Amino acid sequence: MKRGIAFKISALALASTFIIFAAVLVYNYDVSRKIIGEAAETNARNVGKRAANRVASVVLPIQKAVDNLALALEDASLTTDEIVTLSRRMVESNKDIYGVAIAFEPYRHDQEELFFSPYHYRGKDGIEFTMLGGTSYRYFYMDWYQLPKVLGRAVWTEPYFDEGGGDALMATYSVPFYRSENGKRVLAGVCTADITLDWLRDVMDEIRLSKSAYSVILSRNGTYIHHPISELVLNQTIFSLAEDREEPAIREIGQDMIAGKTGFMFRKSIRGNVDSFLYYTALPVGGWSLAILFPKDEVLAGVNTLLRDIIVIGALGFLLLTGAMLWIARSISRPVRQLSDSAMEIAGGNLDAEIPTIETEDEVGDLADSFNHMRTSLKTYIKDLTETTASKERIESELRIAREIQMGILPKLFPAFPDRPEFDIYASIEPAKEVGGDLYDFFFVDDDHFCFLIGDVSGKGVPAAFFMAVTKTLLKVICERGLDPGAALEKVNNDLAEENESCMFVTLFLCVMNIHTGEVRYGSAGHNPPILIRSGEAEWIPPLKEPVAGPIEGMSYSTKTLQLSPGDTIFLYTDGVTEAMDNERTLYGEDRLMEHMKRYARKNAAEIVTSVDASIKEFTGGAEQSDDITMLAMRFNGDGPQEP
Amino acid sequence: MDFKNEKQGAFMVVVPAGRMDAVTAPEFEQECERLIQSGELKMVADMSALEYISSAGLRSILATAKKLKGQQGEIRFCGLEGMVEEVFSISGFSSMFPVFDTRDDAIKD
Repeated sequence: MKRGIAFKISALALASTFIIFAAVLVYNYDVSRKIIGEAAETNARNVGKRAANRVASVVLPIQKAVDNLALALEDASLTTDEIVTLSRRMVESNKDIYGVAIAFEPYRHDQEELFFSPYHYRGKDGIEFTMLGGTSYRYFYMDWYQLPKVLGRAVWTEPYFDEGGGDALMATYSVPFYRSENGKRVLAGVCTADITLDWLRDVMDEIRLSKSAYSVILSRNGTYIHHPISELVLNQTIFSLAEDREEPAIREIGQDMIAGKTGFMFRKSIRGNVDSFLYYTALPVGGWSLAILFPKDEVLAGVNTLLRDIIVIGALGFLLLTGAMLWIARSISRPVRQLSDSAMEIAGGNLDAEIPTIETEDEVGDLADSFNHMRTSLKTYIKDLTETTASKERIESELRIAREIQMGILPKLFPAFPDRPEFDIYASIEPAKEVGGDLYDFFFVDDDHFCFLIGDVSGKGVPAAFFMAVTKTLLKVICERGLDPGAALEKVNNDLAEENESCMFVTLFLCVMNIHTGEVRYGSAGHNPPILIRSGEAEWIPPLKEPVAGPIEGMSYSTKTLQLSPGDTIFLYTDGVTEAMDNERTLYGEDRLMEHMKRYARKNAAEIVTSVDASIKEFTGGAEQSDDITMLAMRFNGDGPQEP
Repeated sequence: MDFKNEKQGAFMVVVPAGRMDAVTAPEFEQECERLIQSGELKMVADMSALEYISSAGLRSILATAKKLKGQQGEIRFCGLEGMVEEVFSISGFSSMFPVFDTRDDAIKD
């Protein structure tokens, strides 16, 4: 199927629009995502920092308080009551502290007692008191006591779930305290504060980066202290999880985290296994580490919504544009197609074919106007042409008829005088395409005198034809009066010269022969010299050099005489013979004519004329004939018996 | 058909070149007509550059001569050669008009 302009314009414009739109969309989406991603990272850092601050704001005062307690306990003069009071006050004054223990080295406080460790904690009925230590609880070997003792500094123990005490997640801050003994600083004991971590959940819950974002806290060893999947908490480390899931990447993250590094990356979440952003940073507590995971889709939800909206708006716009394009393209192509149909119809010859009315004032409207104008012009032109052709045909037809009439006045019947053995006459005229003015004639002036003549009117066309007819009529009338040829020519010249404004003229060669004696009297009005064949030899009759007839009145013409013997021939012709041309515009010429005459000297009149005609035709080889070719041959036989 | 015209003494010398036939003869007639209109009544036609003359050419010469005669002017001929001279001779034009061998002879009064 052929694609129309409408289709091409629409397709091109829409394809371009689509490509531009798609490129803008892709670019927009890419940049938006990057911006949102960066914003998410910044946001995550801020949130992480804020969470760390929140944790610090809870934990640091406790640490400070326990540190101070440790300093206070360096005073060796403290009594048992005072020590117990210190312990109780700590719990009272700090709501985040679950319990405080002040554990002494063996026999350090009281030389009678192996254990001395007053412990205040928040019981069901307020702050309760107990003394730790005993055979079932040899606290010297507990982590919370051992670690600070061995390390010589404050230590956070690994968090634990305290089932007996608070039924809560706990972590213990232990600080060693020293006393001077014999001038040396020796370890006196360890004071600890148990802290419930319930508030951690609240802090973590406040970290709401997105709907299903969650946060994780790892202890110094990688144990999960906080995780939305509660089975993991205290039961798994990030390393054991990495082993279970066979994901070395998780182990690497764990190593970074417990090393206190900060990072931001993109990976699948443990919970829900969805593409997420991961941010982790160190917490200011016991080497803990905070991680925040938030699903990519939720972060990019805005971008995706934007993308979807843009696509919908774009698609609607595209549809609208398609409609508009089709409408415009159709409004252009419809009239063009209609014009094209009309053009085909007009080309088929129906000039009255209806041309669609197009009112638009654009190029198409102009085209329709031009088209209408063309049709009108074409109609006028064809009408004119038809009339001209008809008129030309009429004129040509009339000219042809005139030509036939003109030719009709020349004698054409041969042998012309079969009962006259004294002479033999033959003539021919080969008319040119255009009407010419050649003429010939022959007739008896009286019983003894036979007149024959040839003439050539100057120019061509209807004027020449008229002039020829007038000349022939005049000649016959004048010659029948029995005048000498010279006198006859003078008369003809004067008659023709009257009212001859156009200076037409005729060349004439006029002969009057006595058919008994063979005496020929002749006159010439500017005509080509004829050929005389005498005793088998051809020769020119010397020209008389007397004026052509017609243009100027009062010319005089002489009469000459020549004597024919039986068998002699006079050959008259017009310049159509000698000026016949071949395709190279070479003239047939007088020399060629004379040669031919010599060869045909002994032939009769008809044979001479027809042979010259054949010779000319052979010479011209079909080239267009520009002038009438007229010949007349008169052979004198005399009164005696004819020669063989 | 080309013309090289030259005023020599009292005469306007017209020099037609090429062929003077049914097609070109009217050009000769128009050229002479133009000269007559501009007052040139004494003309010499130098035929030395003419290759061919037909009966139509002769007719245009006659028409020009007749116009000149009507205004007491005249036309002379010179430089007749070859075919043109033969046509002039046979047609009797040589006896109808003053014909000279050379242009110098023609422009002598």
